[in-house]
Amino acid sequence: MWVNVLAANVIKVLTEMRRYLPNTISLVVTFYVIFLAMFLGVTVVGDPSAADTHVRFLLVGNAVWFLLLVGINSIGWEITTEATRGTLEQLHMSPVAPRWILLARLAGNLAAHLVIVAGMLVLSMATVGTWLTFDLPLVLALLGPMLLAVTGLAFAVAGLALVFKQIQAMLQVSQFVFLAMAFVPLSVAPWLELAPVVKGIDMLRASLVDGAGFAAFGAADWASLALNGAIYFGLGLLAYGAAERRATARGLLGRY
Amino acid sequence: MTSTPASTPALRVHDLQKSFPRRRQPPLRAVDGVGFTAERGQVVGLLGPNGAGKTTTIKMVCGLVRPDGGEVEVCGVDARRHPRQATRHLAAVLEGNRNLYWRLTARENLFYFMGNRGRSPRSVAAAADALLERFELGDKRDALVADLSRGMQQKLAIAVAVLAGTEVVLLDEPTLGLDVQTGDEVRRLVRELAAEGRTVLLSSHDMAVVQDLCERVVVIAQGRLVANERVTTLMHLFASRAYDVRLGAPLSEGQAAALRRAFALVDVSDDGLAVRVDLERSDDLYRFIDVLRAERTPVEALDRVAVRFEEVFRQLVTNGGRLPDGHAVAVAEGRAREGVAHVG
Repeated sequence: MWVNVLAANVIKVLTEMRRYLPNTISLVVTFYVIFLAMFLGVTVVGDPSAADTHVRFLLVGNAVWFLLLVGINSIGWEITTEATRGTLEQLHMSPVAPRWILLARLAGNLAAHLVIVAGMLVLSMATVGTWLTFDLPLVLALLGPMLLAVTGLAFAVAGLALVFKQIQAMLQVSQFVFLAMAFVPLSVAPWLELAPVVKGIDMLRASLVDGAGFAAFGAADWASLALNGAIYFGLGLLAYGAAERRATARGLLGRY
Repeated sequence: MTSTPASTPALRVHDLQKSFPRRRQPPLRAVDGVGFTAERGQVVGLLGPNGAGKTTTIKMVCGLVRPDGGEVEVCGVDARRHPRQATRHLAAVLEGNRNLYWRLTARENLFYFMGNRGRSPRSVAAAADALLERFELGDKRDALVADLSRGMQQKLAIAVAVLAGTEVVLLDEPTLGLDVQTGDEVRRLVRELAAEGRTVLLSSHDMAVVQDLCERVVVIAQGRLVANERVTTLMHLFASRAYDVRLGAPLSEGQAAALRRAFALVDVSDDGLAVRVDLERSDDLYRFIDVLRAERTPVEALDRVAVRFEEVFRQLVTNGGRLPDGHAVAVAEGRAREGVAHVG
């Protein structure tokens, strides 16, 4: 049963990405252009002696920013779009709880965008002529808890969308928050370790920019990363559940 | 269809309550004690003027709005305690063609919604194709929904609900905005669903559709149940006692005056050759004939004025579920709100 729910939603995401191809392409092009602008800023304005490190920093930050943006905001966008279309109530009339349908939808979104991010990263590295070092098992191990936290945040945003519907302005502003999360290192603001995903981004940056391997991280780092993912995932689900209860109590599901 | 004991009603709604909070105003009581039962294979109409509480009632049945009180049972499953289990027995088309993904094809929509019910495309492919043929959408199966006409979209939305194979199907305004031919097709499909043993709860402002399709109707006004009765019974109860009489010679002034004295409602045409008269009691007809016979006025035709369901509905809503003689049609306060017919 769950496999069919997952398959249906992944297929839907991919089919709609194909049908809305200009939208998908413009998203990628926009991020690439932003990357080029940042790259020019780093090379022209920045300190030339640290340019290589900064470019590596930029490559990772830009890719993570893109992933955060599409990951965290995706279900929020989906819900506002579904409410506008009139399909949101249909999702809530399934024998499968809507949160699992949305989770399947998010999985499809993240999978598709991970592929796009990988492609964009390769293109960006080729553009600037700087290649990051990839320890694939480590990257995957880091992405797991990070995506868990991303999922939690996505559910929190989805909950807000369920109750308030018109959250586009908030979603627009949130991209700058994600930008900060993606680029500010923990060495500058250690308290950001408590924020979602930032610990994972810091570890990912250490791996991709500085070439750190598994051994470079201690048990405390992994525990912090895992806890961060689990807590934000749980909090996100709780927030979504509360929002869903409020939406059904007030009859907000069909309204936009 | 999933199976539940045949003796269990397909849908049982009891004493449903819902209020919505409002800013700086007392809460809006949207639904107040609505209850009804729909048996298997019945088409039940849920009627009421705009803002009466129909949509809120339907959404509470679907689990989209949480009731403040009361019970909803779908095929014996308590929908308030086990909403996901209840939705296994229920499918709905609430916003017609807006219930679809316009950038997916007809077939992809069917597969997607069935996927969310845990079914694989392979397991539903044959049924989906057969259904598209039955709904005369076979040649449009790979067309984007955005490219279909409104009528086709509406039929596809119903096909999605039908393919779910549930015992209960809720249709909100299924013929709204459709041309006559497509409207007729939708009516045929609803009849077929009932013939298959499915229960259809249908909400519509089109009284011709209601009269044509529904076995019984539940009428709500201002959040309260005002009638829950078989359509034929309502038509009988509200049957007009007015008659149109065509005469072979014009009525004299004296006859017209005599009729006006004897009967409360008399309408005589300008030429005196046609009379509409309300004959309230059974012996009124003899008294009427006596007036005509006094001057040997010939009667060419006498027809009972036909009542339309629209008029019945209007009277029910206006009079709060009371017959023209003042008796309640269906629901006396405090009596079984499931709506066994309480007439008189």
